[in-house]
Amino acid sequence: MAEACQIAKKQDLPPPGGYKPIPYKRIPAKQYFSGYAMFAGYIGMTVGGLYLYNLNYKQIQKHEIEMRSAKMAIYPMLLAERDREFLKQLRRNRDAEAELMRDVPGWEVGTYYGERVYKNIPSDTLVEPIFHEYYAHSDPKEWFKRAYIKLRS
Amino acid sequence: MVVTSDIYLPEESELTVPEVNLSGSTLYAGSFHLGKYCEHANNEFMLCRMEEQDPRKCINEGKAVTACTMEFFRKVKNTCLNEFNQYANCLDKSSGDYSFKFCRNTQGVYDKCMLEKMNIERPSFGYFTEVRVHDTKRPKPPVEPKAVYPDATPALPEDAEKKPSRFGSRFYWMTE
Repeated sequence: MAEACQIAKKQDLPPPGGYKPIPYKRIPAKQYFSGYAMFAGYIGMTVGGLYLYNLNYKQIQKHEIEMRSAKMAIYPMLLAERDREFLKQLRRNRDAEAELMRDVPGWEVGTYYGERVYKNIPSDTLVEPIFHEYYAHSDPKEWFKRAYIKLRS
Repeated sequence: MVVTSDIYLPEESELTVPEVNLSGSTLYAGSFHLGKYCEHANNEFMLCRMEEQDPRKCINEGKAVTACTMEFFRKVKNTCLNEFNQYANCLDKSSGDYSFKFCRNTQGVYDKCMLEKMNIERPSFGYFTEVRVHDTKRPKPPVEPKAVYPDATPALPEDAEKKPSRFGSRFYWMTE
C-alpha cells in the first residue's frame, strides 16, 4: 500500500495570479424612459384611447338609433298582421277544443268543468293564453319551429 | 285554454284582408318613407293598441295600417321600382341585420327619386324613436277607479296633533 501512495499529489489550487474578482456590481438594463415619462405616456395613451372609444361609441349609438327607428316604423304593420292571425288562431283553438271534448259530459270550453281560470275579471276580457296552450291543438312540428326558432336563425 | 265561449272573437272572414307579402330587406328599405307616409294610420293603431291592450278592439285600425302599407308599396312600385330594388338588394346583401350604414350611395339615389316623384322626404335622424303627439277622435278608455275597501284601516283624522320627532331624524345630514 505504501508504494501506491508515492505518486505526487496535485492539490487543487487557485489559478496563477489568483481568482478574478467576483462581479457583484449591479448592471441595470438600459432605461429608455424615465418614471415621469412612463406616467405621462400612460396618461396620454389612456386619453387617446378614450377619445377613440368615444368616437366609436357615438358611431355605434347612431347606428343603433337608426336601426331602432326603422324597426319602429314597420312595427305597426307587423303588429296588425300578427293580431289578426292571433285572433284567427284563438278561434281555431276554441273550435278544436269544443270538437275534442264534445263527448265529455259537463265540459265547458275554456273552463275546467265550468270553473273559470280567472274569476275576478269580466267574462269578456281576453286573456292571452300561454305559449303551450296556444299551440296545444296544432302540429307538434309547428310548436317546435316556434319554440326553437333560435336554432334556425 | 283560457278562452271561454263568452269571449267574443271575430269571424275568420272579418280578419282576412290582403296581407303585405314582402321580405325583410324590402320592408327595411321602405321603412322610413313608409313610416312617414302612413304616420297617421300607424299612430292611430298604436295608440289604440297601447290604450286598450286588446287586439279585438283595434282590428279596423290595423286593417287601415295594412291597407296604407299596401298603397305605399304599390306607389313605390309604380314610381321608383329600380332605385328601390337596388337599395333593398344592397341592404339584403351587405350585412346580416339589414344595416343602413353600408348602403348610403344607393340610399341617396332612392331618396332623391322618392323626393322627386312621391314628394316624401326621408324623416330626420331618429324620427321614429322620438315622442310624437297624435290627435285622435277615438274616446279614451275609462280608467279603472281606485278600489275602496269597507274594512280598510282608518287613517289619522285631518286635525290630529303631529308632534315633532323626539330624537331627530336618522338621516339628519340629509333632512336637517
